[in-house]
Amino acid sequence: MPRWLAWAWVVPAAFLAVFLAYPLGVLVARVGESSGWPLLVSSATWHVVPLAAVQAALSTILAVVVGLPIANVVSRYRFRGRSFAQAAVTVPFVLPTVVVALAFRSLLGPGVPQGFALVVIAHAYVNLAVVVRIVGSQWAQQDADVEYVARTLGATRWTAFRTVTVPLLRPSIASSAAVVFVFSFTSLGIVLLLGDSTTRTLESQILRQTSVLLDFPGATASAIVQLVLVSLILGMGVAAGRTPARRRMRLPTLRALPLGGAARWTIRATATVAVVIVVLPVVALVIDSLRANGGWSLAWWRGVASVDAGTSRIGSPLSALGTSLAFALVCALVACVVGGLAAVAVLTHGRTRVISLIAIVPLGISSATLGLGTLLAFGRPPVDLRGSGLLVPIAHALVAVPLVVAVVAPALRSTDARTMAVAASLGARPTRAFLTAYGSVLRVVMLASAGLACAVSLGEFGAASFLARAGTPTVPVQIVRLLSRPGEQSSGVAAVLAVILVALTLTIVMLVDRLGVTRTRPAAT
Amino acid sequence: MSTARLETQDLAIGYPGRPVARGVSITVAPAQILAILGPSGSGKSTLLTTIAGVTPAIAGSVVVDGRNVTTTPIHQRGVGLIFQEPLLFPHLSVLDNVLYGLRRQRIPRAAAGQRAEELLDWLDLGGYGDRSVDELSGGQAQRVALARALAPRPAVLLLDEPFSALDADLRSRLAADVAQMLRREGVSAIHVTHDAAEAEDMADAVLSMTDFDLSFVPPSR
Repeated sequence: MPRWLAWAWVVPAAFLAVFLAYPLGVLVARVGESSGWPLLVSSATWHVVPLAAVQAALSTILAVVVGLPIANVVSRYRFRGRSFAQAAVTVPFVLPTVVVALAFRSLLGPGVPQGFALVVIAHAYVNLAVVVRIVGSQWAQQDADVEYVARTLGATRWTAFRTVTVPLLRPSIASSAAVVFVFSFTSLGIVLLLGDSTTRTLESQILRQTSVLLDFPGATASAIVQLVLVSLILGMGVAAGRTPARRRMRLPTLRALPLGGAARWTIRATATVAVVIVVLPVVALVIDSLRANGGWSLAWWRGVASVDAGTSRIGSPLSALGTSLAFALVCALVACVVGGLAAVAVLTHGRTRVISLIAIVPLGISSATLGLGTLLAFGRPPVDLRGSGLLVPIAHALVAVPLVVAVVAPALRSTDARTMAVAASLGARPTRAFLTAYGSVLRVVMLASAGLACAVSLGEFGAASFLARAGTPTVPVQIVRLLSRPGEQSSGVAAVLAVILVALTLTIVMLVDRLGVTRTRPAAT
Repeated sequence: MSTARLETQDLAIGYPGRPVARGVSITVAPAQILAILGPSGSGKSTLLTTIAGVTPAIAGSVVVDGRNVTTTPIHQRGVGLIFQEPLLFPHLSVLDNVLYGLRRQRIPRAAAGQRAEELLDWLDLGGYGDRSVDELSGGQAQRVALARALAPRPAVLLLDEPFSALDADLRSRLAADVAQMLRREGVSAIHVTHDAAEAEDMADAVLSMTDFDLSFVPPSR
């Protein structure tokens, strides 16, 4: 290994220390120095928790109940359109939550009352992909003959599913449920746009405390309570999701469709319904962007570049797109450097678990917490970075770094390290030998990572809502601002921005997919 | 009425448009062990999964104890199946694996426990009941699979090359044990293998897949 690689960990460690640990430290200290620790148990903080937990639990149950049959169909059976169905189910997860919320509003129309139920349905919709992907990948590796053995021992189809299939899938169901619960518990965009005044999460509470009530100590206490709860739930998910090391899995193989007419029909119908469920809100959004004054029109598309269509004194809605793209590029650059070096550090040190853990920590911290912490740490003297335009991309990079590590580290680990020894034995200097062995893989995975980081940054709302300056909102922030204004024009232009964001995000995700990220091995846990 | 425990009559096996064998008519008498030999791809495994109900028959019928079960659901056929791999339920202990079929039959707990312990003892697995199946060797796991399949007293047991993943020495010892066990239990069985010596050692009668109509199977298979 080249000697400089031994120090690769320094950059990610310093980045996380400065931009994650320090802001969190400031957050904690802020509680201590203000009204004190009693705030952590105050009713203002805790009265939100029960309802948010019930909401998250119901969202999780709905996502699992709908996701399991879809996972069964798209990850186990071979049929025409399977890959399309699998990709389609992933779409809601990669869409910005603000866009999803707007798409639901477009689909259901103004007549449907906003509130708890709608929030639960939207959360299940967004997180369907988590259940389908995590449970599906374990299901695909399971030998279908195990169920047949149970059947020959006298179990009905349902009994075999209940007593054999579900227990075997329990680890993946548990870990996907934990992830869905956390995402729903810490949701912001969907709660703001689809909830009513009583439907809140700690995340929306934090935003309200800082921007409406100007109660910074209270917001900080909420953020800390959320941090602790989320860590607990994710920890429980990891513990429940552990599979015995000796349990052997097969390579995933697809089965032919069953011969029985009813079973074949059920499988095809499930795949079709899944695609329809996923696509319908997006189609409604596109239609909304093309409807003005009761007829078809391109008025909102034409108006998107005009200052009049924007909120006061902030320029045209389209200028938000420029801001978002610039932030996305900076975020991609920072996340790739930090995440790439963290992944290399995993490779060189063999301290896989510790460094992987450090790299995924930001995932457990909600974006509003991240935003609030960053604002408190770097948004006022002595270190005031608000004018630099760097706060948003840095906060986004923190969210993107774990994804970069998750993409790059497994790809590097699956590369045969002996190539480096061969190159060295042929006279290559250490750095040249390293590049010979890992260069081609790194080129592909770093490009893919940059794409993912861009997609994350384009859609992120929570941190940006704290950190974006009034004159330079990102697209999701601009969408929410537009929706807070009355009038058909505002919602029409918001729909246009959302459609542009959908197109951008999907293009990036498809490019990432083509770069072969999906073919790299999943990260070892 | 026939006294055979299992009869297949003019069975066609495979998949629609992709048949593997036709005209498969075999009879297995009570407590008889029938070995079926055949090269890879000749449809040995498909024949067993068709008899068990996992793969639907294209044509013909399957009769167990005089009852036509051709369209009967898998769990009501009374036909046990052992695959090449033990396929033990990894979330259950050794004992719970063996008890699985007895629980489906709602056998009282004490009687079920006694039956399971008895089978484990006969297969030299006494004292292994509480262990996790992850702790078993390949041979032990296949014995547990046998105990699990025999516990609910199936009318017929189908063995699909259950020893092929084991080494030669273990294979011959286990084959002898299994044959003895099947006779002791009085179970009729079909044992599919590509090992002629193993077939001769274990079975009362030997058939070859080539006895059936395989004319449409491409020679490359």
